Amino acid sequence: MMDAATIRARFRDHAFIVDDGFATALQVMLALDKPMLVEGPAGVGKTERAKVLAEALDTRLIRLQCYEGLDATSALYEWNYPRQMLRARLSETTGTSLEEREAQIFGEAFLLKRPLLEAITEDRAPVLLIDEVDRADEAFEAFLLEMLAEWQVTIPELGTIRAKHRPHVILTSNRTRELSDALRRRCLYLWVPYPTLEQEIEILRVRVPGLSERLADRIAGLMQVLRGLPLQKAPGVAESLDWAMALMSLHREQLDARTLQQTLGCVLKVHEDYAVIDAHRLAIDAVLQGGSSPLEAGGYSLDTDFGFGSVSPRR
Amino acid sequence: MYPFGRLPDNLAAFAGVMRRDHAFRTGPGELVDAARALEIVDLHDQRAVRDALRPVLCSTPGDVEVFDEAFTAFFFRGPVGVPQPDRKNVPRRDREQGEVGEDRRAESRPSEPDADAATDDRPEAVEIPADTPDSADSTPAVAMQMVHASYSPLRALGRTSIAVAPAGTEWHAAARALVRRLELGLSRRWVPARTGLRFDLRRTLRASLQTGGEPVGPRWRRRQRRVPRFVVLVDGSRSMSDAAGIAMTLAAAVASVTPRIEVFTFSTALQRVTRDVRRAAAGGPVTIESERETWGGGTSIGACLRACLRTPDGRRIGRDTVVIIASDGLDVGEPDTLRAAMNDLKSRAAGVVWLNPLLETPGYEPTSRGMRVARPFISTFSSVRDAAGLARLARHVRLR
Repeated sequence: MMDAATIRARFRDHAFIVDDGFATALQVMLALDKPMLVEGPAGVGKTERAKVLAEALDTRLIRLQCYEGLDATSALYEWNYPRQMLRARLSETTGTSLEEREAQIFGEAFLLKRPLLEAITEDRAPVLLIDEVDRADEAFEAFLLEMLAEWQVTIPELGTIRAKHRPHVILTSNRTRELSDALRRRCLYLWVPYPTLEQEIEILRVRVPGLSERLADRIAGLMQVLRGLPLQKAPGVAESLDWAMALMSLHREQLDARTLQQTLGCVLKVHEDYAVIDAHRLAIDAVLQGGSSPLEAGGYSLDTDFGFGSVSPRR
Repeated sequence: MYPFGRLPDNLAAFAGVMRRDHAFRTGPGELVDAARALEIVDLHDQRAVRDALRPVLCSTPGDVEVFDEAFTAFFFRGPVGVPQPDRKNVPRRDREQGEVGEDRRAESRPSEPDADAATDDRPEAVEIPADTPDSADSTPAVAMQMVHASYSPLRALGRTSIAVAPAGTEWHAAARALVRRLELGLSRRWVPARTGLRFDLRRTLRASLQTGGEPVGPRWRRRQRRVPRFVVLVDGSRSMSDAAGIAMTLAAAVASVTPRIEVFTFSTALQRVTRDVRRAAAGGPVTIESERETWGGGTSIGACLRACLRTPDGRRIGRDTVVIIASDGLDVGEPDTLRAAMNDLKSRAAGVVWLNPLLETPGYEPTSRGMRVARPFISTFSSVRDAAGLARLARHVRLR
């Protein structure tokens, strides 16, 4: 059993900074053996958290990427039909009995395991990442519910397969669609907000080792301001890491208006957002010049959700 | 300090408060989980306890938002005799209000590019002090400021209500035709079918068991049709007073056919009325009581569309969503705001259907400023006055 401090330390060893809330939530999840639904704006490291968790627990990560039209056969299992037919043809003349041939054809060798079945049959409890579950349709969500409750699969030809160890399940969602209440009730819930200024500076230091402290401060400060602007796509942590890397590889020690203009593509991914930046030039220049904190400079609220400030988990 | 002596009782009471005051969905299952979660954390550490209970008891972003405050209000009310925040002042929330509440904050952000132009976006400013904790120390000066902020020469006073007639069978049939006729193309999902594009080996082999292992009838799969989702926006300004009722009936008719619908009313502010419309769709007339600010004043269509695009439901406007706007297009807001919002809407939604009751008037030309701005982004421009009109729309609707 790992406590929150150990979890934080382990994540830190893997160059991933997490806050107390997340560590405690993980601790509860491991103790209660329940799946955890992680939601938050794009680019705050939801998927990455599951990957690091697998490394921290020293177990396998099995990933199921959801998409529209994902169905049970691509999530659970499928028989390898061409191989089965080939084997049936080839063994016709060998003189083996019908029962033997049947047992052969419907053996595990002909079963194509998809992520969910794989997670169940694993010897050590793996981390099962069900990524972007909001992209799958409602029918798949209903199927998933059954799976998360029972942890068993019935294959008509083989019988029922029960999980040896319950996987540690992490579901992520970007909220493109409202998930059903039933799914939410079966999961623990975690909202991952954008990091605070201090957290972001620490993340930049840990993930981009050569970065100067001054530059890290500037990047993090500017990110806080940008996330307060009404952008169509607010930059996440992934963007600030990209940006830090870009500035490092360009050997820029300073973040001035010209550098900003040149490297803005690392941060803003929608053309319309450039106009928004121009309209708020004053606040941004204040941060670039340094000195005043972004809070004083622009007076922007920092608790943002997708840049529109509808969610503020902690104050 | 705590309401009860023992931890389980306190926990149960806390879950009860969350359920009652904040519309949490905490049942016995969550309570057991919460108790188990508390077993593994250090009970002396306030933060750890809060961090452990949060993932168990919360289930939506809205829940997370109110949890910490409610936790402090329940467990740390301070010693007796010291003035403490009134229980009533912890913001209460139910599901529907919560979502509108999110708008409010989004609306009143200082960083809006045209915050000045959209001042009438924030009519709720008057009401906010009443249910936020900050109001305890609000001075008359602050209150005056709020009143000024909400003032608009164009806003009508008093409550207005609109009766939604139950959608009759003709409405129902027409709405069904509309849902059927909307062509969104095919989904990525393969479904079993009698004829199709892809041979279904699995089902063919299964079926061959009935014919002694000889696959006689082939089975096929084809792609599923994409089912449209609707977002209906009804203009509630005075000029629309008659037509709004018809538009609501239309929304109720569509809601009786498909559950995938969200309905909003707007004039100077946006209000979500999906629940009322669903109730109307289930039968029985429903009166939609509108807040005086959102109903019967001048219309700022652009600002309201933008507000809608920022609600959780508006965010879900995607390739499957058909947006139906019922408005006469008499806009008092900034044309640029409307243009930007319509552009955004068009690029995200499958199509925008604009129902303008003025089209029924002989000789009407859509030359008003709002209409002229919005026109290039509309895929179907029409009007619906009765069930037959909706049936006609179903025949002529185009999405691209």
